[in-house]
Amino acid sequence: MMKRSKSKLSWARSRLVVCGLALTCAPLAQGQQLEAHLRLSGSTTREAFEPLRAILQQCSAVVYDGWKSISFGVVITSDGYLVTKASEIEDAKELNVRVDKTHFKNVRVVATTVEWDVALLKVEAKDLVTVEWDTDGEPDHGTWVVANGSTSRTRRRVRVGIISANAREVGGGKAPVVLGITLDTNKKAGTLSISGVEEDSGAADAGLEEGDLILSANEQEIGKIEDLQEVLSGKEPGDHVKLRVKRGDEEMEVEVELRTREKIFEDERSRNDAMSGRYSKRRSNFKRILQHDIALSERSAGGPLLNLDGKCVGMNIARVNRCETFAIPAGEMPEIIEDLMPKTNDP
Amino acid sequence: MTQVLPRDCWRRVGTSAALALIALSLGSPILAADEEARPLYNLKEAPESIRDLLAIQKALQRSLPRTRKATVSIDMGGGSGSGVIVSKEGIVLTAAHVSGGVGKKLTVIMEDGTKHKATSLGLVAETDAAMLKIEEEGSYPYVEIDKEDTALMGDWVFALGHSGGFNKERGVGVRIGRMVRWADQTIQTDCNLIGGDSGGPLFDLKGRLIGIHSRVGASLEQNMHVPIRVFLRHWEKMEASEFIGEGPFAKKPVAFLGVGTEDREEGGVEVKVVGKETAAEEAGVKVGDAILEIDGKEVESKEEFSAGIKELKPGTKVKLKILRDDEEIEIEVELGEK
Repeated sequence: MMKRSKSKLSWARSRLVVCGLALTCAPLAQGQQLEAHLRLSGSTTREAFEPLRAILQQCSAVVYDGWKSISFGVVITSDGYLVTKASEIEDAKELNVRVDKTHFKNVRVVATTVEWDVALLKVEAKDLVTVEWDTDGEPDHGTWVVANGSTSRTRRRVRVGIISANAREVGGGKAPVVLGITLDTNKKAGTLSISGVEEDSGAADAGLEEGDLILSANEQEIGKIEDLQEVLSGKEPGDHVKLRVKRGDEEMEVEVELRTREKIFEDERSRNDAMSGRYSKRRSNFKRILQHDIALSERSAGGPLLNLDGKCVGMNIARVNRCETFAIPAGEMPEIIEDLMPKTNDP
Repeated sequence: MTQVLPRDCWRRVGTSAALALIALSLGSPILAADEEARPLYNLKEAPESIRDLLAIQKALQRSLPRTRKATVSIDMGGGSGSGVIVSKEGIVLTAAHVSGGVGKKLTVIMEDGTKHKATSLGLVAETDAAMLKIEEEGSYPYVEIDKEDTALMGDWVFALGHSGGFNKERGVGVRIGRMVRWADQTIQTDCNLIGGDSGGPLFDLKGRLIGIHSRVGASLEQNMHVPIRVFLRHWEKMEASEFIGEGPFAKKPVAFLGVGTEDREEGGVEVKVVGKETAAEEAGVKVGDAILEIDGKEVESKEEFSAGIKELKPGTKVKLKILRDDEEIEIEVELGEK
């Protein structure tokens, strides 16, 4: 595949001898490779990031299901509140967490938000080291960022990259929860009818059928898709929507349970997905994200994203494809955390 | 300080020797001069501290505004790639598998969404190099080319491109990496590329163009680029819209007449079929015609006749001497493209 011009190289070697210089390394022939430890995420390169690894050691959490590590987390309070990626932990049977070298067997899922795919966890701890959120605004293109890479029980490792695109909304504001139906719009009549019902969806369980005309949802009249989206906005999986539909001449009312979009509608796998290895189940529909090029695995989202000052600029939320990873910007986190935190009446 | 030297150790060493002479006469330290030529982050085997990393970040961020402005998305109609403007007049470098041929009409999209019509010029089919020209006259943002071919294995580099197609909200995507493998016609880096990046630019941290994205392997580490030297080597021919070489990245257009023929005992070939909307039909060639000569050369067999056509470029005009109803006529045909 690669052409080698040997003559030029051997000439180069002879020239070196003539110069009489001692070589610290043999000249590499064309086709030879930069050793793995010197590459972007190689062990020698990673050593330069040691101060940041030390921060991740303390203020990131490893989330396990039994023995298997399934996600990372961000330590947000010294008394044991953590945030992680909700969709990666929802099926966990034996949730447990490690922060630095301390193992926490009892983990409580306090609350989750499907809008941001974030879960708030609580472990019984005191004196944990928390991340220091960056308050200087969103980092520019080309800023070094550091995230949790593969981990051992006692030692966190880093993976590194840079901020690689504009911060923005992704997914065009689609509701993260769905009824599980596809729709036909009749613009002339201003009506909306069901053109398909997805398997295992709330709509299927409620007995909705193709051809049903949707009249109202939660008492609000429905004439177009946007009306329905409005009803769904802010809803969580497990919430119910009351749908009034017309089938033939008959009108009926059903309660439909909402489920998460990626569980009901399968993403179409694109050519770019095929060259991307494993990516997160939930990787779209976020109000605002930072994009970086750290090659995380689908199980290494959920942890902090640090800049070279050791400040936390975001929380990794999705491995998207071969060259894109998303993080929720630090600026969005206070509000997300506040909404998830239990409300107390204490003064 | 060890530095991995892939190919032209002799050149660096030669330069140092020359510098040493000058340095001695001026009484200034040789290291300073050498460092100026090659930034410290590329002289070190790997960054050693946060300070070293900040130096890389600073150099990269200084180069980004200029290089982003000149990086374009290329709409091929039914697919998209990337490219980079390298002259004020709007010469764009890209991959041959993006431009798809010579004289193709394409649309170039700037990061801010501005669209320009462009035409593909020449390409190198075996290495995936191609050139376009924006049609409208204007003063376009462009990048500097590393004409001295200074990039070495281990150098820090960055890739720009419109991954997955143009997306105005996202803009151009930047990825960092190092040169991990080098050969005359291929550079490999650990800047992760994906569909849509093809044809996009690879830069050194000073923002000089050193390669064009071409393809990826299954592993994340296999990101292949065409070195800029391939473009420099073929520059004039590409500017002159030549289709250079044969290879996997572009197929040479084949001339097409549009007739099915059979050998005639009396010599020449007899037209048995005339394809619809072909050059032959347009020129008025009819079933039953006997083609005796092409451009004054006698036609001996149908194999020889069709092989002769295939050697010509689409658009070539040929004169056919035809026997029709016992009358010899001459028809001129402008060959089409298969």
